Amino acid sequence: MSSLEKVVGVDGDRRDTLSKVTGRERFSGDYKVPGALALAIARSTEAHALIKNIDSSKAQALPWVVRVFTARDVPGENSYGIIPITKDQPMLAEGKVRFKGEAVALVAAETLEAAREAAALIRVDYEPLKASFTPEEALADGADKIHEKGNLCFEHDSLMGDPDKAFAEAAVVVEDTYTTSSIEHSYMEPESGFAVMEDDIVAVTVSTQNPHYDHADLCRLLGLENDKVRVKQATTGGGFGGKLDLSVHSYVALATLLTGRPSRLTYTREESFAASAKRHSFTMKYRTAADAEGNLLAVDAELIADTGAYASYGVAVAMRAAVHAAGPYMVPNSRVYSRAVYTNHVFSGAMRGFGVPQVALAHESQMEKIAAKLGIDPIELRLKNALKPGDKTITGQVLGDSVGIRECLEKIKAVRDGWGAAADDPDCFRGIGVGAMLYGIGNTGVSNPSTAQIRVNEAGGVTLYTGCADIGQGSDHALLAICAETLGLSREDIALVRADTKLTTNAGATSASRQTYISGNAVKDASEKFMAKAIEETAKITGKDIADLCFTGTGVKGAEREVTLTEIAESLKEQGNELIGEGYFDPETVPLDHHTGQGKPYSTYGFAAQLTRVHVDKATAEVKVEKLFAVHDIGKAIYPQGVIGQISGGSAMGVGLALMEEFDHASDKNFDTYLIPTVLDVPDVEASFIEHAEPTGPYGAKGVGEPALIPTAPAIVNAISDAVGVRITSLPANLERVHRALQLMGGK
Amino acid sequence: MFVEFTLNGEKVSAEISGETTALALLRENFDLIGAKEGCGVGECGACTILVDGVAVNGCLYLAGKLDGREVVTVEGVGGEDALDPLQKKFMEHGAVQCGYCTPGMLLSAKALLIRNPKPTLDEVKVAISGNLCRCTGYTPIVKAIMAATEEGK
Repeated sequence: MSSLEKVVGVDGDRRDTLSKVTGRERFSGDYKVPGALALAIARSTEAHALIKNIDSSKAQALPWVVRVFTARDVPGENSYGIIPITKDQPMLAEGKVRFKGEAVALVAAETLEAAREAAALIRVDYEPLKASFTPEEALADGADKIHEKGNLCFEHDSLMGDPDKAFAEAAVVVEDTYTTSSIEHSYMEPESGFAVMEDDIVAVTVSTQNPHYDHADLCRLLGLENDKVRVKQATTGGGFGGKLDLSVHSYVALATLLTGRPSRLTYTREESFAASAKRHSFTMKYRTAADAEGNLLAVDAELIADTGAYASYGVAVAMRAAVHAAGPYMVPNSRVYSRAVYTNHVFSGAMRGFGVPQVALAHESQMEKIAAKLGIDPIELRLKNALKPGDKTITGQVLGDSVGIRECLEKIKAVRDGWGAAADDPDCFRGIGVGAMLYGIGNTGVSNPSTAQIRVNEAGGVTLYTGCADIGQGSDHALLAICAETLGLSREDIALVRADTKLTTNAGATSASRQTYISGNAVKDASEKFMAKAIEETAKITGKDIADLCFTGTGVKGAEREVTLTEIAESLKEQGNELIGEGYFDPETVPLDHHTGQGKPYSTYGFAAQLTRVHVDKATAEVKVEKLFAVHDIGKAIYPQGVIGQISGGSAMGVGLALMEEFDHASDKNFDTYLIPTVLDVPDVEASFIEHAEPTGPYGAKGVGEPALIPTAPAIVNAISDAVGVRITSLPANLERVHRALQLMGGK
Repeated sequence: MFVEFTLNGEKVSAEISGETTALALLRENFDLIGAKEGCGVGECGACTILVDGVAVNGCLYLAGKLDGREVVTVEGVGGEDALDPLQKKFMEHGAVQCGYCTPGMLLSAKALLIRNPKPTLDEVKVAISGNLCRCTGYTPIVKAIMAATEEGK
């Protein structure tokens, strides 16, 4: 194809969709694994208890049962977790259980029926401990310790300016307490994977967002060297943060390592609900101060999150929530105290937004309250305070050039004016609401690099190697676009090897909306280095000047003929060298100060605003989101349809967060009681984006995966408040809560 | 027990036990892996198949009841060289992200179009309201189905 054709910004055909619409795409559970042992897990029936004895004799005696494993069979360190300072989770409970549903024993059998029957026959003697189901209970005097270090998992302080003085001098101070619910990710594909021995290597094929992390913790659990474990990401049926933790991986790896036979495990939905991470429920006490003109003066927030029985991403969630506590506004004085607290719920982990959707409910509700007190239009109030390039965030970070929040707000203002007044309806109240946000791209205040390589393949073309796990959102398609654009090729010209720890290097997690920005930069860097190396070698081969040579995509052209990539690669190989572009990118960050929370947590931020119109049925209290307009500053849309898909899918998840979803740890086992939005619950989302190019981004790109969700719930809650005149401060705004609001309204 | 039925246009038969589900039979005996188990209780629709042109949950439908019937799975809707308009429009409109719900969505849409080739927007939404998708927010899926109906007109 012509090297002039642009790829970035063009949708093109994703290479996974044909096999997905024809039913041929194999997810982990769709592979035939000859000779595989079936696995089943015996799970804790207690929320918090000491294990006095495990009797697996009846299970072991069943026909077809091959072996039962408990904590004492774990060859390495029986503790894992994504954050290095909180690796506190055992793969099989050791001495005590900390939540109902925790894995206690693992059965390997010739048939799944036998494995499950055996797991049900395992008898565990427990000595119950006092269980805590809220952070308040867990921190109270007399609470039983869930972990040795106590029940406070993590705390983070942040201070800027002089908030006390600002509050004393403010014209208006608003305060309230907000709560959000525990939420199940509800990816459609339950956790699944299988393991086989490849010579002396345990090779695990699994549904995952983070193969290189999985690899590191599997080595730790199994006590194996790096080169004795291989993790291959299978096609993954959604993740949303819930497939960042280890799930089936460690069980198939252990069973295969210790029996020498292949093994497989797919969670039932009930198991997935019982044993996978949840979104942290938050309680947030907020005070916000403004002057008489509506300029924000100070925010004081106390955040407390239920991180459940194990830390998982708790540290990251508590810290990120604190960093984003003031929203996309210039606030000169702030104090934030954020905690993640252990309880005896199943662990909370990463879920789309890492605590930011929670604080967005609070800061956006506070903005409405200030607007109401001062009689200022809510969008005007936001515009007055919206961050600009060069402004300081509450961590003291001076923002760079890509700050599109004002334009997002101006767009929703125009759209709102266009919507006009809704028709009067005697049966319902209608209201319009706004939500706005900022979101730091990448991990918070830590190095989180990505790597990538470009090599010549046997066909003489190029192959992109990336460790980045595409979980359905289309990162493959975006990375191929960046690679193709840089090399002057089309996506179809490039072969792709991805997310296999034997063949690719670490790209970090598919989380934190980081892959387009960080892995995209690594791919661009690899592509540029590949071209430079090819040209340099061609100059040596032909004796031409580098300035006279150009990269064509299939080779390098000088005056006469094109030297093919294969020729260049062979020439380098003869010298013991390789034609390779090795890419690297690590966003520039400054760690947050331990006492003041000041630093540069991210090198860039995404921004967004969303507008909704809801109607509230006067009789039933049912809330229907009639319209949703979303505008996101994403820097540059590498794959525009993918950006729109993220916004559409994210805001549907936001509808669930706002109106429906509240994981009941005692009773929700499956989708019959835990309800997520169906097509009838979501509006047609009008998704759009603006492109305030990020100078450090690949072709200007930032990220969108999590920002997609964040403004939705605040916009809906603000619309309900606009409709009925009563503010709902606890999510979800379900029938019960809205009904109560209607009663309060009637009492006014 | 022994069942004989038409599967994607071909006569097939299988020896099964009474509690075998249609989903298990299709996946295990015929390696038709397009239909997925998402919940096992008939709530998510990932296991949707067509039995005599009607969309059913394969995870609840007993295989024994397939005897003498006509079964269509996503593999029978259209292959790589002969895509159904629905499949094409799903690809064009970004209706596929992770793809786990896609076969079920396609078959619920197909069942609708078999009985009602020119559905309204609301009829499309009702037809796929038993199929959960956590990735797309449904908007691209609904657009794709509407586009396929327009192409068929």
